Amino acid sequence: MIMHVAEAGEQRGRVVLHITSGHPSDVAMEAAIRIAQAFHSEIESLFVEDLQLYDMASYPFAREISYTGARSRVLSRDAIERDLRLAAQALRRRVEALALAANVPLRGARIVRDDPLQALAKACAEDGPWNVVALADVLAPGQGARLCELFASVSGYTGLMLVGPKARRTRGPVIAVIESPDHLQPMLRAAERMAGVTSGEVMLMLLSDSPSNGNWLDEQVRLALGDHAKVRLLHYQIDHGAPAALAEVIRRLQAGFLIGHFGGILVPAHGDLRDLVAALECPLFLMR
Amino acid sequence: MAFWKSQSSKPAKSDQNASAEPTKGATAEANGLAAAATHTPLPISELRRAVDSAALGFKTTSELEPARGLIGQDRALKAIQFGANMASHDFNIFVLGPAASGKTTAVHQHLERKLKDLPTPPDWVYVNNFETPNRPRALKLPPGRARGLVKGMIGAIDELRNTLPAMFEGEDYQARRRAIDEEFRSGQEQAFESLNTKANSQNITILRTPTGFAMAPMHEGKIVKPEVFNTLPEAMRKQIEQRIEALQKELAEIIERMPKSDKQRRSKLSELNEEIASIAVHEAVDDLASAFSDQPDVLTYLDAVGRDLIRNVGLFLAPSGEENEIVKQPADTARDARFRRYMVNPMVSHNGDEPPIAPLVEELNPTYGNLIGRVEHIAQMGALVTDFLLIKPGALHKANGGYLMIDARKLLMSPFAWEALKRSIKAQEIRIEQPSEMAGLMATQSLDPEPIPFETKVVLLGDRELYYLLAAADPDFSRFFKVQADFDDSINRSTENDQAYARLIASIVMEHKLKPLDAPAVARVIEEGARLASDREKLSIEIGRIADLVREADYWAAQAGRSTTTRADVAQAIDEQIQRSDRLRDRSQETIERQIVLVDTTGAKVGQINGLAVLQLGDFSFGRPSRITARVRMGSGRVTDIEREANLGGALHTKGVMILWGFLAGRYALDVPLALAATLVFEQSYGGVDGDSASSTELYALLSALSEVPIKQSFAVTGSVNQWGEVQAIGGVNEKIEGFFDVCKARGLNGEQGVLIPRANVQHLMLREDVVEAVKAGKFAIHAVDTIDQGIEILTGIKAGTREDDGQFEDGSINRRVEEKLRSFAERGRAFARRSESGDGDSAAGSENGKTSS
Repeated sequence: MIMHVAEAGEQRGRVVLHITSGHPSDVAMEAAIRIAQAFHSEIESLFVEDLQLYDMASYPFAREISYTGARSRVLSRDAIERDLRLAAQALRRRVEALALAANVPLRGARIVRDDPLQALAKACAEDGPWNVVALADVLAPGQGARLCELFASVSGYTGLMLVGPKARRTRGPVIAVIESPDHLQPMLRAAERMAGVTSGEVMLMLLSDSPSNGNWLDEQVRLALGDHAKVRLLHYQIDHGAPAALAEVIRRLQAGFLIGHFGGILVPAHGDLRDLVAALECPLFLMR
Repeated sequence: MAFWKSQSSKPAKSDQNASAEPTKGATAEANGLAAAATHTPLPISELRRAVDSAALGFKTTSELEPARGLIGQDRALKAIQFGANMASHDFNIFVLGPAASGKTTAVHQHLERKLKDLPTPPDWVYVNNFETPNRPRALKLPPGRARGLVKGMIGAIDELRNTLPAMFEGEDYQARRRAIDEEFRSGQEQAFESLNTKANSQNITILRTPTGFAMAPMHEGKIVKPEVFNTLPEAMRKQIEQRIEALQKELAEIIERMPKSDKQRRSKLSELNEEIASIAVHEAVDDLASAFSDQPDVLTYLDAVGRDLIRNVGLFLAPSGEENEIVKQPADTARDARFRRYMVNPMVSHNGDEPPIAPLVEELNPTYGNLIGRVEHIAQMGALVTDFLLIKPGALHKANGGYLMIDARKLLMSPFAWEALKRSIKAQEIRIEQPSEMAGLMATQSLDPEPIPFETKVVLLGDRELYYLLAAADPDFSRFFKVQADFDDSINRSTENDQAYARLIASIVMEHKLKPLDAPAVARVIEEGARLASDREKLSIEIGRIADLVREADYWAAQAGRSTTTRADVAQAIDEQIQRSDRLRDRSQETIERQIVLVDTTGAKVGQINGLAVLQLGDFSFGRPSRITARVRMGSGRVTDIEREANLGGALHTKGVMILWGFLAGRYALDVPLALAATLVFEQSYGGVDGDSASSTELYALLSALSEVPIKQSFAVTGSVNQWGEVQAIGGVNEKIEGFFDVCKARGLNGEQGVLIPRANVQHLMLREDVVEAVKAGKFAIHAVDTIDQGIEILTGIKAGTREDDGQFEDGSINRRVEEKLRSFAERGRAFARRSESGDGDSAAGSENGKTSS
């Protein structure tokens, strides 16, 4: 949605806040609201009751270890159902409160019992393609593969927002990682819109894999920017270090949002996001 | 002073039996009476002591050097000086004196001059007590340094607001923090991930539920459906269950370790935070500590501040809720709720730029809070909360080390204030308590600030009644207010004091920026001063009233377009003052003129006389004549005071009437029973009567009734009398004379009219100019008498008579006739008694009753 909406100057769209557990990240939820604010779009929460949990609860030996480790109980389908219902209600109220406070229209709070990815795919397919998917659950280091699966199996969305375990802020500079001049305009507009609601500065990080490409990209971007004086240009060459090193650079810049392109150098289509996401202190906003 | 308290103008039927005895009109000689010698009325010079304006020696007050302070108050000023110099805490001063006497200004000026001799008191501040926040600490500082501490603390916190976030966002801190985080987090994650890997290798998956973790068998990344699982061989199922059980135990152990690990992480982070914070805190506070290195208490406080800042460094890192959304700047440090605990509340502070001086404070509204200080509260979320910054100083704080002036009456009328002041004087400390706490009614959070030493000379100002009331009713009063500064309300009249008075007037002119008064105007003001003192030998020093007169005269001068205030302006001011207040006097005069209230001013009547009373209405008082009548008959020796019998007479009036009985018995009935029954009444008096100033008048009425000699109604009489028949001084003599004069004048002065006054009151005469003019023209007369005999001769024209060698009063004299009447009553009484004993009592009583004399 973002690129297309921003490019087309449209003001409509939907943020699908995808929640699969009772413990979504505060930063992720706030980031989802900011995106909705920035693009004047609606927000809809999608709480997925994972079918696997019911399968698990059907085992007679299934037990649950509490988060404190101090309690253990036998699981049942009824118990899981009740717990999920209560968690969904609590989250719905939270999303409602956040949306109300930010003056963002709340389209609805959907609760479905399905496989999480399939539920998301259906939701996006029903009302696409101007969707941004916001993953409310923290992307744990071991879930890189899941993300790739998401990109591969879910369509009907234009961007994906996710947060890592260290995510702590949404305010600060909005950094758009530019790998190709083709992406400059839509990503710049998206960054400017985000900067409008997070009170941050817009920075363009020109990412290249060699000095010559870097120089070429710099020329192209400067040419395209003209006298766009508000934008600060940064350069990073991927051979300076792995994505974790790039994440450290971004952390030092106290970024509030990082905007990137899926399927490029920053986030390869089949690469591992683990190091980047594990180090980021701000939400990562990936565009297709 | 005796006066008639009130008088109703309600018309009433006159008692014809008592007052309308016909005058026979017979001459003294025809009745066998001896004519009295002529009594000379008082000369003009005795009626009013005028001031010779030419003798004052100036043309206008602009030539005079204004008087500094009060005149004629040496005794009071000496007392104030003594009290002010006496260092002891219990030698406080009570200044007694009439209202508007200028005592407040005088005390103020006097004490102001003494301030330079006093050491400058220290500054006091309240600061947070970090250990016991509800007991704020009081810090003493050298004069002028409190503001430095206040500003210094704000500056230090300001600095920390910038440096602390910068340090905590700095790379050094962040790197060390990340290292700590990573150390613990990676340990947890590694343990968790290794368990996850182990579970996956055994085809078991770990899933998050809303409230915890659970495990199930897995195949190709998905949970095996239970129905599929059940198709597996039992041994395999058992094996899987055992694996899951073992993994669950491992998971529980890992999770249980997390809190301990997190605690260690937090502890290490705390250490790091304190290390980083202490660098900035010491940097910020050290400058302040250096500035106050000579103040051990301040250093102790700054140490506590430093420790608290390091402990609460998070305050500086959390976003301010009070950031200005428009300019995106943080709110003032002094107004930021997060940093209130580090602010300093100055209770007493001197401006370092000005030469320090001890304070002189006059508290005009001495409520408890204004006096002792208060702990204010603010409403937050429906509850009243407070802190040490809401402690407000009272007058005791502001005046500490100097002088505090308080109006005693206002102080006593303010609940709890008097007790609180005494407590502060006794304990020599100012302890701020909520009045509700003292009454045991405290229902909200409050503070118990450390008391501040109290070293102030308290000066109470009040009237004499209040002083004596306090002295009698409160034993503490005499203990804590040992110095009595008694302001006189008048000074003696002399040429020197007339001059001093003129300079006093000049000071009023200067103070109020008025037009100068010429000498005749000053003379007129001095004369009014004597009039206000009710004594021509005295001058009132009620400065307030004199100042009012001078200011009003200035107004009339301005109305007349004059640049100098003249005698005519002063006279007009006096007239206007009277006119504004004399509505009731006019009404009273009107009732007499219309004969609603019966007062004769011509003719002569037996047993009837004009008495004089004074009515006081606020500042204005006026005289009013009233008819007094007496009737006599044979009886058992009792003078009935009808006022008393009707509960309208006061104690002093009753006393006066009883003295009459003593006089009658002592003079006329030494050897016979006083077989007299007499009734005395103030006719048409519907209010209370008090004072003994009419006792001589009543005696004249009685003597007239007994002697059956009529009294000239052209006279009015005032004066008290003793048992020897001596006429004694009374109060309000001028108003009384003028009251009767006004009635006579309204009816037409005939040259016969006049007033009898005690000779002792001649010195008080300061009569209106129109009265003096009438006397001068022979239309009115003032007679001064020493004795009842002199008075009765003037009133009747008949000789009073003295006892001759035969023991009898002169033949044809008043006294002779009185004595004979009383003897006849006694003889008849004896005869009546004999007849009663022989059984004829009833008829005798009937016949005696018919012989009542008037």
